[in-house]
Formats: sequence, structure tokens, C-alpha cells
Amino acid sequence: MTVSSAEPRSASLLECRDLEYAYLGRFPALDRVSLTVERGESVALLGANGCGKSTLLKLLDGLLFPAAGSYRAFGTDVTEDHLEDDQFSRAFRGRVGFIFQNSDAQVFSPTVRDEVAFGPLNMGLEHAAAVARVDDTLAMLDITGLADRAPYQLSGGEKKRVAIASVLAMNPEVLLFDEPTAALDPRTQHWMVELIAELHDVGKTIVLATHDLEAVPLVADRCVVLGEDHRVARDGPTRAVLEDVTLLQSTNLVHAHAHLHAGATAPHAHAHDSGHH
Amino acid sequence: MGTDESATTATTRRLSPDWLLRDEIGLCPCGCVGKRRRGGFVEKTLSGVSGLVRGAMFSEDVAATPGLLQRIDARVKVVTLLGLLVVAAFLHSIAALATMYVVALVVASASRLSVRFFVARVWLFVPVFTGIVVLPATLNLVTPGTIVVPLGHWFGGPVGLTAEGLESAGLIVMRVAVSISLVVLLTLTTPWTRLLHALRSLRLPATVILVLAMAYRYLFHLLAAVEDMYTARRARTVVPDRDLRNGRRFVAASAGALFGKAYGLSEEVYLAMVARGFTGDVRLLAPDRVKRRDLAWCVACGGLGLVLLWGDRVLG
Amino acid sequence: MHIPDGYLSPETCAVMYGATAPFWVVAARRVRRVVKTRYVPLLALGAAYCFLVMMFNVPVPDGTTAHAVGAVLVAVLLGPWAAVIAVSVALAIQALFFGDGGVLAFGANCFNMAVVMPFVGYALYRAIAGRAFLTSPRRALAAGVGAYVGINAAALCAAIEFGLQPDLFYKTTATGGHVPLYAPFHLSQTIPAMLGAHLLVAGVVEFVLTVGVIAYLQRANLPILRINHPGLPDAAGQRVADDGRAVERRPRLRGIFIGLAGLVALVPLGLLASGGAFGEDSPSALDLRKYGLDAVPTGLQRYGDFWSSALFPGYDFEHGSHPNLGYYASAVLGTVLIAGVVVAGFRVAAVSRRRRDRRGGRDRDRADAGAEREPVGR
Repeated sequence: MTVSSAEPRSASLLECRDLEYAYLGRFPALDRVSLTVERGESVALLGANGCGKSTLLKLLDGLLFPAAGSYRAFGTDVTEDHLEDDQFSRAFRGRVGFIFQNSDAQVFSPTVRDEVAFGPLNMGLEHAAAVARVDDTLAMLDITGLADRAPYQLSGGEKKRVAIASVLAMNPEVLLFDEPTAALDPRTQHWMVELIAELHDVGKTIVLATHDLEAVPLVADRCVVLGEDHRVARDGPTRAVLEDVTLLQSTNLVHAHAHLHAGATAPHAHAHDSGHH
Repeated sequence: MGTDESATTATTRRLSPDWLLRDEIGLCPCGCVGKRRRGGFVEKTLSGVSGLVRGAMFSEDVAATPGLLQRIDARVKVVTLLGLLVVAAFLHSIAALATMYVVALVVASASRLSVRFFVARVWLFVPVFTGIVVLPATLNLVTPGTIVVPLGHWFGGPVGLTAEGLESAGLIVMRVAVSISLVVLLTLTTPWTRLLHALRSLRLPATVILVLAMAYRYLFHLLAAVEDMYTARRARTVVPDRDLRNGRRFVAASAGALFGKAYGLSEEVYLAMVARGFTGDVRLLAPDRVKRRDLAWCVACGGLGLVLLWGDRVLG
Repeated sequence: MHIPDGYLSPETCAVMYGATAPFWVVAARRVRRVVKTRYVPLLALGAAYCFLVMMFNVPVPDGTTAHAVGAVLVAVLLGPWAAVIAVSVALAIQALFFGDGGVLAFGANCFNMAVVMPFVGYALYRAIAGRAFLTSPRRALAAGVGAYVGINAAALCAAIEFGLQPDLFYKTTATGGHVPLYAPFHLSQTIPAMLGAHLLVAGVVEFVLTVGVIAYLQRANLPILRINHPGLPDAAGQRVADDGRAVERRPRLRGIFIGLAGLVALVPLGLLASGGAFGEDSPSALDLRKYGLDAVPTGLQRYGDFWSSALFPGYDFEHGSHPNLGYYASAVLGTVLIAGVVVAGFRVAAVSRRRRDRRGGRDRDRADAGAEREPVGR
């Protein structure tokens, strides 16, 4: 599958229809989930832990394959068989980038430089071009000083930057983030949110899974809420979804929390993020 | 997720058990603090863990200082030092081996390695292991020959240290010392990652290099997990458990849990690799070009090797 | 058991590298073929795990602690071929980074701990565990026994590598004496020393750790055990695989054959030992004075020559003609004969079992005929 100007531009970049997936055939993760993502959009997947957000992202990256339903990306079906073909696989993997929640699993090479070079080299870039790409990406993310460090010498925030650099070096059109702000200190969280917003401005298509409701309005145009029944509870513009308190409570994204206000208790709903209670 | 920890609300007081809200000085009714006991397997494993980490950091530090060997290309170092290792294996005289050891000492000090550390690293190991193992071989009971240090008359014949036995012991001790010195010189002055890339010059396949690199990288990750498990155990140990069965069960359980973690991590890393286009063929960055001083070092090592071999044949 | 540099001659080191290299190549190919792209992270994490297992201090009965190798454990968990690579990589990191084990002796160390140990141990494990279900105690014990024998096999190999040095690599002094150039102890000393230490201590540690980990995983993390044991029922009486088909697995005898072949190859070492085995002398060769006798006892004389028509008298073609070749031929012939008897025995047992199953199956089918069919599949 090659990109050419004659390729009919289908309406949506990514199209999932009635996806079903269960781990080990027994533990359901997705129940007839449908999702479409347009080019240049930024979509947030919301839902409590275990509702299937990560699974959906992995399906979007062709790392898992649904038991039922279909997934089309860039106008072609994405199936296990199709990805066996080296040419299709290379094209697909080069156009979709995945930033994992666990940076330790994503930063596996001996040095930062090797890590960032892994993607471009696997895409078939010439050695000199790959080296140039690596230097540019390191500079863009401000981690040139870490180039020869080993992963165990990096802090959590630094590892996250390296993970992002390693994906951006392949210059994908679509970026998938799994809990990008989880386990990061406030300053790095802020940096991350700004980076995602910047990538969105540049024209990248972004899908991020998160339960950090504070960051969502800054990065996403649209929200898709997954309920604990592993189905799509709501799919709409960010503002509308975040104001739908009943929905957010029923899907366990916020809960009623009683505060002490000068002696009397006043129950109201709010969300928990990684920062405070 | 779980119970709210705000202590000001009446609801929480009902959820937490009473003893959690009280102060308690140890579980011992007499309130004693206790003395520090000599550690068992928990302490030993933990000190082993921290030893590994410290060793890694130490090597990184040494590899970063600007000494003679640090400036030489890793590939050249690997080839020359391995070559000298082979030469040492072929030397038959103690004098030649001793010469090589002295040269190693000189190079070590030129590479800003603390000579005291260098000597200790070799000689603390050698006497303990090699010396003790080899000592009985000096007796005529093991190595027959001319007795030079008689020890008496047992087993119906003269017993003593033989010249042949002593020479053999000397040879092996020197050889072990030289071998360790050469390997230490190589590994301390070369960052591990450069060392791995250099192994490619020995025609090791890229796959092996990547597996080695990844194993080393995740070694420290799993090490942290081991440390967590054992520190938690130590924190829970009020009195050292005399029951060895419990100790063995803990070691087995932690080793089993560790495999689960390792396997789970391998699955995640696999997904991360596939997501970046890995199809099974490993492609790595190529190292820099060889410089003039690297060639000079090559020549020097080659010369040393030849001189020693020739001297060995002539004198030995 | 890590052999440092300086104990083995470079010739021995080269031979050991040559012996191990084919295993590395085959292992790499097999693992890659079975797990495809997963092989890199799997082997890397397996190696890191191996390294750490070698670092654990295991409490032993006498109160101190000792280290295990864990090669058979990894073989049981990931398969023997993956174990070859995982243990080799762990040994490489130990040799290069921690100076534990030599660089020239790396081939020998890998042969002992990354080839002999996992294969011998795994073959024994499969033989003893058979088709026992996944959570059965027999499986854990089988792994432990495999580990015990495995490490002793490795120790034996190391002892042989050491013991051959003084007789093969020495220099002659002016007075005609021999100076051993490398390891100075002879086979008659290294074998009892190494085997003694490993039979009594290291083997026990290996057994304890392997049984412990397998038992733990049987309780706490069964899916991990399923990785290398597909198609085995979890508990007694359970059904196997989603499609209901019970998987018939033929026992993997290749490991046992390799072990036997190795032992046959080592047979000529017996020639190096002087003197005969105790109690095996024929009456004419008895040293009567040593036993305080004046003549050979009549009973011994009469029955000593009872069986005089041996095919290979004295383990040789004709007494004393070609000792080495005769010895070898005897070993091969003896192994083939014993193997033949054993295989025949198994065949007979299998035939009788099949006859029994067929009778039992017919009874079961009759009982099932009226019962409802259970839904099969997802």
C-alpha cells in the first residue's frame, strides 16, 4: 500500500466498526465499539480503568486484532494477514505512532541515540539520513544532552521524552497516546500537554486515552466516553461531554465527594486526577 | 481506589480498624527496640543487588575519565586486549607472564585507574580462589617431581612441595592474574554500550548484540524489582526467621514472581518494538571511524605480544 | 562453577567453543522460528532473569546460603533451546561485566551450563513428568530432579575439562619432570572433588530453587507455565484445549539420546584410571596375600569360569588386542542392547495400554450416548 496522489481520499482516516475483543477469549474489553477519526482531529478516549481504552488504542495500531468487527485505516482494511506483508506493514507502522503508558517498555535500546534511531532504521532509512533525523528529533525535544545515556540513568520524565522522540523520529501522521500524563510530575505534565497541543496544531491526527479530565479540554476537540460495560457511552464535542455530569458519574469518571465546609457537609461531584484528591 | 483517608469524617472512622488509629511501639509487649542481627539470605541478596548497581556506576565513572585507554576506539581495544589474552594463554614462563602483568599495571595507571583498586581487584580474588585451589597441587602427591620443600614422611613415602608443583602453581596464579587484569582494563575503560557495538567487529550478529544490550538494560530494571521485594521482606522482619523452610519459600516465591514480571515486560517490549516497525531483522547504528592513535595502539599491542612470545620461547 | 581464564589451555578453550557453537546456531534458528519476532525481548528478558537467579542467595540446610545456576528452571519455563541462549547471554554479561568466568573459557562455561545442564535436566524432566497435569506435584519434583542431575552433569564436564589439562599440556624440565601449564589436578582428583561438592551442596540448592519456583508458579501464576506446556490439562480430570481434543504428545527422547551419546563418547576415560574396579577381578588375578588367603576359595574357583563364552572378553575383541577400540565397541554395543530392551519394553507397555483404553473407551462412549453435548469453543 503506497501513498499516491491518485489514492481516493476516504472521508475518515481511521474507521472502526463494531469492534469486539476479549482477553484470552474470556475477559471482555470491547463490546461493539465504533469509532471514526478524521484527518487532523484530536480525540480523547475517556473511561475508568479497565473499560477498554488501552485495548482500543492497541487495536488502532494493529498490535491486537478484534474478534469481530472491522478496522480500516488510510482506506485499507487492517488485519493480521495484511500486516504480514512487509510493504503494507512498513507503510502502516510508519504512519501510526504509539506512545505507551509504560516508558520502560518503550525505551529498550542501550542508549537514547540508539532508541531514537530504531524506528527510522527499521523504516529503511539510509544510515546518514537516520543519524540526521535522530539529531533533529533530539533537538526538537530538547534532549540532545541525553543522547549517549543509558535508560537506567534517566528519570521518568526524561524517559517519556525519549519515548516520544523515538516515535516522532518516524514522522507518523497519527499519534496514539496511552495515558500520556500518568505518573509524571506537574512540570512534565504541563510540557506534555503543550506538546500534544503543538502536534495537533501542526496537523497530526491524535487519539489519546486518559482519565486526566483537566488536561482534556486543552488537547482534544472531541471526547469518546467508554463505559464500564465496554461500550461507547457518548461521542461528542469536548465541552458538551465534560459538562454532562450524570454521564461522567455513571461511567465512573467522577464521583460524588463530600467536603467539609465550615461544619456542614456539602456533596458535589468532581474528578480525581493524578495531582490531588 | 479504596477507602478515603480523610480522618475528619465520621464515615472513615468506621472503615479503619481500631488498632490502625492507635500508636504502637513495636509488636513486642516489652516495647524493646532490638539489636541489629547479622543478616541472612535477605541481607546477602540485598547487598549483592546494591553491589551490582554500584559496580555499574563505578564502571561508567571510570569510562568517562580521560585516560589512555578511554581514548582508544572500543573495537580496537576489544581486538587487541583479546589478542593479548590469547598470547597470555600461550606463555609458558612465569617471567613472561609477570612482564605482561607489569605492562597492564602501567597501562592501568595511564588510564587514570587507581592502581590500588586495580591490584586489589585482581589479588583479592586470586589468592582466595586460585591460590587455595592450587596449593595442594604443589605437593608431590599431586605433581610428582623433585622435592624442594620437604614436609615429612607420610603415607609410606616422602611428602613435600616439588619444584614442578611450585612452578605450576606460579604459572597458573600469574596467568589468572594477567587474564583478569586484561579483562578489567577492557571493561572499565569502555562504556558497556560501546563495548557491545565493538563486539560487532568480531562478526557477532546484530541480533546477538541487541539481545545482549536489552538483557543488560532490563537487568537493572528487574534488579529494582528484586530490591523492592527483599527490602519489603526486611522491613517486615521483626526477628530473623530461623525457619529455613520459610526462607526458601520466600526465595522461590520471589524468583517465581520475578519471572512473571520479566515475561510480562518482554511482552510489552515486543509490542513497542513491533509498533516501531520491527519485523525480525535487527538494524543498529554504525560506530565511528578508526583514528590514528587507535592504529598506534594496535601496533604497540601487536609488538608486545610478539616480543613476549619470542622471549617465552627463548627463555622459558 | 564458572571457570576463570588460565585454568584451561587455549586448545581446550578452542575445542569447547567449537563444541558449543553449533548449539548456539541451532538454538537461535529454532527460537526464531517458533516465537518469530517475539524472540528478541523474550531471550533478553530470559537472560536478565537467568542472571538474577544466579545472584539469589538460597538458604541451605546447614544454615549458610549458596547460589544456583537455574539453567534447568529456564529450560522448563521457556524450553531448552531458549535456555541455551538465555544462559549463554547471562554468562556473557557475568564474564564481561563482573569478571565472573573467563573470556577464553566462555565456550567451556557455556558448554557446561548452557548446553549440557539444560538439555540433560530437561530430558530428565520430560521423562519423569511425562504427561502429568500442569499443577501436579510430580511435575515440580521432576523439574527439581532434572536440575539436580543437570548440574551434576555440568560439574562432571567441568571436572573432565580440568582433569585432562595436566596430562595433555605440560612442559618438561631439565630434570625430566613434568610441569603442568594449566589446571594441575588429574582426573582422578577433579572428578571426585567437583562431583562431591555438587552432589552434596550445589545440586541440593539447584533442586530446592527449581522445585520452589515451579511450585510457586503452579499456585500463583499458572499461565506462565502454559507457555512451554501447551495442550496440557491444568488439573487432574480436566479437559484439554478449547476444541476439546486431547493432545497426544510423543515423549521427546532426543535429549536422552544426546546425553547417552555423550556418555558413550566419554567411555575411553576409563582407560586412564589405573588398576581395576574393586570386586571385579577374576580368580587368577586375585592378590591372595592382600586378603590373607593361601589359595583361591573352591566356590569362587568353580563358578568363576562359569560363563566363558563372552563375545567381548575383557571388553575387548580378543584379550588385549585393541584395548581402546574394543572398549569403545563394547560401550556402543552395550548401549544399543540396553536401549533395544528398553524400547521393546515400552512398546509392549504401550500396546497393552492401548488395549486397555480401547476397552474403557467403549464403556465411556456407551455412557455418553444419552448425555447432552457440551458447547465447544468460544
